[in-house]
Amino acid sequence: MNIVVEALQGGLAGLASYLAAHVLLCLVPAFFIAGALSALVPQQSIIRYLGPEAPKWVSYPAAAGAGSLLAVCSCTIQPLFAGIYKKGAGLGPAITFLFFAPAANILALSYTGVALGADFAIARIVLALVFGIGIGMIMAILFRQGEAARLAQGETFGSDAGISRQTLLFLATLVALLLAGTLKLDFLKTVLLGIELPVPGVGSLQAGLDRLLPVNEATGAEGLSVQGLFLIGLLLAIGAAAWRGLGQVDSGFNRLTPLALGLTLLTLVIAALGVRNSENGLFLALTVRSALVAALCVVLIPLARRFDPWDVQQWLWETWRFVKQIFPLLVVGVFLVGVIRVFIRPEWIQAVAGSNTVLANLAGVIFGVFMYFPTLVEVPVAKMFLSLGMHPGPLIAYLMADPELSLQSILITAAIIGKLKAWTYVGLVAVFSTLAGLSYGAWVDGASLWMLALPVGGFVALLVILLHRFERAMLARAS
Amino acid sequence: MLIKILGTGCAKCNRLEQLTREVVAEQGLDATFEHVTNMDEIMAYPIMTTPALVVDEAVKVAGRMPSKEEIAGWLKG
Repeated sequence: MNIVVEALQGGLAGLASYLAAHVLLCLVPAFFIAGALSALVPQQSIIRYLGPEAPKWVSYPAAAGAGSLLAVCSCTIQPLFAGIYKKGAGLGPAITFLFFAPAANILALSYTGVALGADFAIARIVLALVFGIGIGMIMAILFRQGEAARLAQGETFGSDAGISRQTLLFLATLVALLLAGTLKLDFLKTVLLGIELPVPGVGSLQAGLDRLLPVNEATGAEGLSVQGLFLIGLLLAIGAAAWRGLGQVDSGFNRLTPLALGLTLLTLVIAALGVRNSENGLFLALTVRSALVAALCVVLIPLARRFDPWDVQQWLWETWRFVKQIFPLLVVGVFLVGVIRVFIRPEWIQAVAGSNTVLANLAGVIFGVFMYFPTLVEVPVAKMFLSLGMHPGPLIAYLMADPELSLQSILITAAIIGKLKAWTYVGLVAVFSTLAGLSYGAWVDGASLWMLALPVGGFVALLVILLHRFERAMLARAS
Repeated sequence: MLIKILGTGCAKCNRLEQLTREVVAEQGLDATFEHVTNMDEIMAYPIMTTPALVVDEAVKVAGRMPSKEEIAGWLKG
């Protein structure tokens, strides 16, 4: 009986800390950014760099850019991948796009940064970029003979659509809001103003919360504060208002739309306040962070008003669609991870992946390949492993392999590029994720950055030269 | 008039079809609808992104959601 209670408590604790601590200042802005990227950035602005004539120093980075900017939604991944492969820049950039997209979209990146730490987020994006381009080039070299002449469809790529400055400014403000809310910098914590708010019964409420969800530093259970409880309540209110307020915004703004948006802004501002329990009430600390978040929220309103109402509706509709698509799975995922956490002994993880060995990294990759978690759930899983004592190296190997290789993505890839190419890709991802884990692990263990950057950079440079050679040879034969 | 919606069945694609049907009904136009979900057929058109709207085999928009006024303009023209 005890173990059941403990497991449920574990699940709830995970959920509480997720909702109160991680979601708000990171995922709420990230969802709005994802919606804006999807609704306001014309896809042609990046696609035009992916034509069949594009030189590879343009097409590979552009493919990576498309991966992080356009591919927040599954509706775009599949046609874009098929399009780049069949009529655009070819197999190499298509593979780079496919590899980079799940690791580098705004949602994955910001959530990784907040749950695991900024160093993991940076490692994830840098390693995914380097190895994504590397794998793309290897595929292009391996299958250079099979590259059929692609249809020259000039009109597909011939467009001068750009991202307007208004959109750029808007996106930059949203990103600034995300950073102001999440960066762990000391100056953001400077207290500008403190207010003591007398709230009777706070002490006993906190005591109750602590009994329900005990704080346990050893297992990383963060408990739930009064502020957290209040924020969860606000989240529920946003959900209720947004169901119609944002869900049906595409047929016109309705009365609930401003309510949902107002509640969202209020939630962000409250989440950015420093709140401490004092003897007979709450001590509210207005920090630089809270001031910044509030200021940016205020700035957003006139910026959004400058857009066409239709664009704003599309933005809000897309944002809510992402929330509806990803959030419920994430909530269930986080709860289950919290439950499972109770049953896994740290010794097991430490025995398998406690140090940065080839075998440990391989174990991380294999777990990633065979487990399929829905979008973003890989992050709480990784957090669990980290708290159980997994070495950061194998953890990165797992984080690289899990979203890249799921059964679903392998099947889609196989349908578009053929089985042989698809399985070669799977093999390469497994090998390179292991390598990525090993290099990050070595860096964490104290190897110098240059020692690692040189071989990795040298390897990619070698690939560029090889690919260039082969292309030259093919052109020479053709003429 | 033959109206094709190209898309792999995602929310945006269904939304585009719904919007276009509304415009057709409001304008009292005579149109046949086809929702193309087959990847190869979609790729036969000069587009890279879905949803896309094709009116009498001419691509009108791809990769974004047009407003109803825009759709009405294409259908009349």
